[in-house]
Amino acid sequence: MKKDKIIISLAGNANVGKSVIFNHLTGLHQHIGNWPGKTVEKAEGTLHFKGHTIDIIDLPGIYSLSTFSIEELISREYIAVENPDLVINVVDASVLERNLFFTLQLVELETPIVIALNQMDMAKKKGIKINHEKMEKILGVPVVPTVATSRAGIHELMQTSVDVVEKGVGKPTKIRYGEEVETRIQKLSEMVSRLQLPYPARWAAIKLLEGDEQIEGKIRQLDPEIVSVARKLAEEIERIHGHSCSTVITSERYEIAGRIAREVQEIVPLRKLPMRERLHALTTHKILGYPVMVAVILSVFFGIFSFGDYTSQLLGIVFEDLCSVYEGVFGTGMLATLVWGGIIEGLIAGITIALPYLIPFYLVLYFIEDSGYLSRIAFLMDNLMHKIGLHGKAFIPMMLGYGCNVPACLGCRIMETERERLLATFVVTLVPCAATSVIILGLVGAYVGFEWALLLYVIDLLIIFVLGRIAFKVLPGESTGLIMEMHDYRTPHLKTVVKQTWFRLKDFVIMAFPLIIAGSFIIKLIDVLGFLEPIADILSPVTVVWLGLPAITGITLIFGVLRKELTLLMLATLFETADFATVVGFGSVQMIVFTLVAMLYIPCVATIAALVKEQGWRRALFITVFEIAFAIFVGGIAYRILMLTGM
Amino acid sequence: MEKRLSELKPGETGVIVSIQALTIHRRHRRRHSWGFQRRLEDMGLTPGTKIMIMQSAPFHGPIEIYVRGSRLAIGRGMAERILVSVEK
Repeated sequence: MKKDKIIISLAGNANVGKSVIFNHLTGLHQHIGNWPGKTVEKAEGTLHFKGHTIDIIDLPGIYSLSTFSIEELISREYIAVENPDLVINVVDASVLERNLFFTLQLVELETPIVIALNQMDMAKKKGIKINHEKMEKILGVPVVPTVATSRAGIHELMQTSVDVVEKGVGKPTKIRYGEEVETRIQKLSEMVSRLQLPYPARWAAIKLLEGDEQIEGKIRQLDPEIVSVARKLAEEIERIHGHSCSTVITSERYEIAGRIAREVQEIVPLRKLPMRERLHALTTHKILGYPVMVAVILSVFFGIFSFGDYTSQLLGIVFEDLCSVYEGVFGTGMLATLVWGGIIEGLIAGITIALPYLIPFYLVLYFIEDSGYLSRIAFLMDNLMHKIGLHGKAFIPMMLGYGCNVPACLGCRIMETERERLLATFVVTLVPCAATSVIILGLVGAYVGFEWALLLYVIDLLIIFVLGRIAFKVLPGESTGLIMEMHDYRTPHLKTVVKQTWFRLKDFVIMAFPLIIAGSFIIKLIDVLGFLEPIADILSPVTVVWLGLPAITGITLIFGVLRKELTLLMLATLFETADFATVVGFGSVQMIVFTLVAMLYIPCVATIAALVKEQGWRRALFITVFEIAFAIFVGGIAYRILMLTGM
Repeated sequence: MEKRLSELKPGETGVIVSIQALTIHRRHRRRHSWGFQRRLEDMGLTPGTKIMIMQSAPFHGPIEIYVRGSRLAIGRGMAERILVSVEK
């Protein structure tokens, strides 16, 4: 059978080299998006191989096909319902047992599989020798050894895959559970097979016994009798083994995975402690781990921000020159100003702010994630992050927030569940970014005193802590503690890291730039039409009465939506002086209140764009509106407290 | 002797006896305990599994264990719910 188009999906545990294989296969023909309606990334690509057009879909890295995380649910629905022609199961040869546990579940889904036995080099370094032919025989599934980072075995993998799709192979060996479980699975699967289900009957029967709510719900609609029979059978198993039925099944599945692993691998103990183990010991050390972490994070920050700052300024100068050229050609008429100030300035804001920081950020994030260091930081910081209901992994996006909220929001993807992602994203938008620090230090730090600037940072941390805790309590769903594999340190595959950066960046630009440009156009339009002053008047009940600020600060706060540091620049323009100490009616109290509001209110338009991209319109809007209201509320309270102290 | 995983010292080994269900958290009662236990089991922490404590992070941080040929980090709160039998 010759098919014009073959659909192959890549599945496997996290950190097994799936994305490296994906990048080898698809090269530059890939597209990164989201699964419909979900915040889970979907990577698709096309490959031409010996006259075939092959669509490759990279499924998220998961450990099981239960319904714990959205990733697991998406993956199993995709495999079971969309029915790709083939699933390439990427397996980490150096952690065979855990990986085979997942393989066995794929086998149960009765989808055609080819196993890519990846990271053979790593296994060898760990003294593990694997007989892949024996593995092939035991599982009844083709096994191709690969070393994705050096492209070894990739061609053979595709050849085998195409062969399987065209000619088909024998059925994989059936996984047999213990007697008590097996007879009940068979009884149940006979009943299930009479229903019209998109899933294989045996798999559905196993899931019923495991108490899988999603499958239970689907079957209850068709035949509620089956669900109650399944519950009864599960109880019987529970009585025999003294553990819940799902525990028994998972145990037995792991037992089988362990037995296969022991049969096919031969382990030679290493004589010397390898470098990566020593590195692990150092980076997770009780005492030494922390200075190492601080040093790494500081140098990463220094790297990102000095690069970002330099490039940003350079681009700024280039665009300034462009501006004078533009004015020379088109003049300074209303339309010309609108086009430049609205559309082009918006574009410039996007290019000069987001890109210089995003590019190095993405590179570094993928680098520390792929190398394995991210999980060590999570290990060290877990306890602290727990205080705001998050676990260790959230530390990275939060730290990044101090630089720029945009990459921080996008970085929240490293969290596992939807709930944690939302929580982390919310917390991150409250962190004062570099532009906010310009206001804090440039206004309060310079004119009121450094200790007051410091106090603002402390207040911000307190607010993050309190709001984080409240959001943690209010948001429905389970709070998950940390359960994380700390895979061995390894050198990241540079080409994959660069490609990942490039495609994520492209995705962001397509999504965010129209929004940034539209935002800046609207504000410029209001400005050109002379509506700024009336709007400042409309805002005066809030700015003047509630916050006790001069009316014109309303204008600057509107401009701050574009770029937060603009609030300070605008303030100087409107007061017609950069020495704020000389301004009447803008004393220490006003400066503190103004800065507090600027620090807490609305993330800038680029951050809103990132929020929309990650969390959707509704949540982005909610977070934005909430933060504006909250900033005004806190500002007003602060104003009254400060007045009472007689400052 | 049975102990909580969180009470074990680095270098000690044990066999998992059971995982205690999560305390009830108002709504969604059933899903809660289920999700937590399933997650641990899916990561290979099933009853009868041999584990070894490698180290624990300071200030009551997570615990690093070696299980089924790989290294896992487990939050302290979760480790407190895992009962382990230790030979002594």
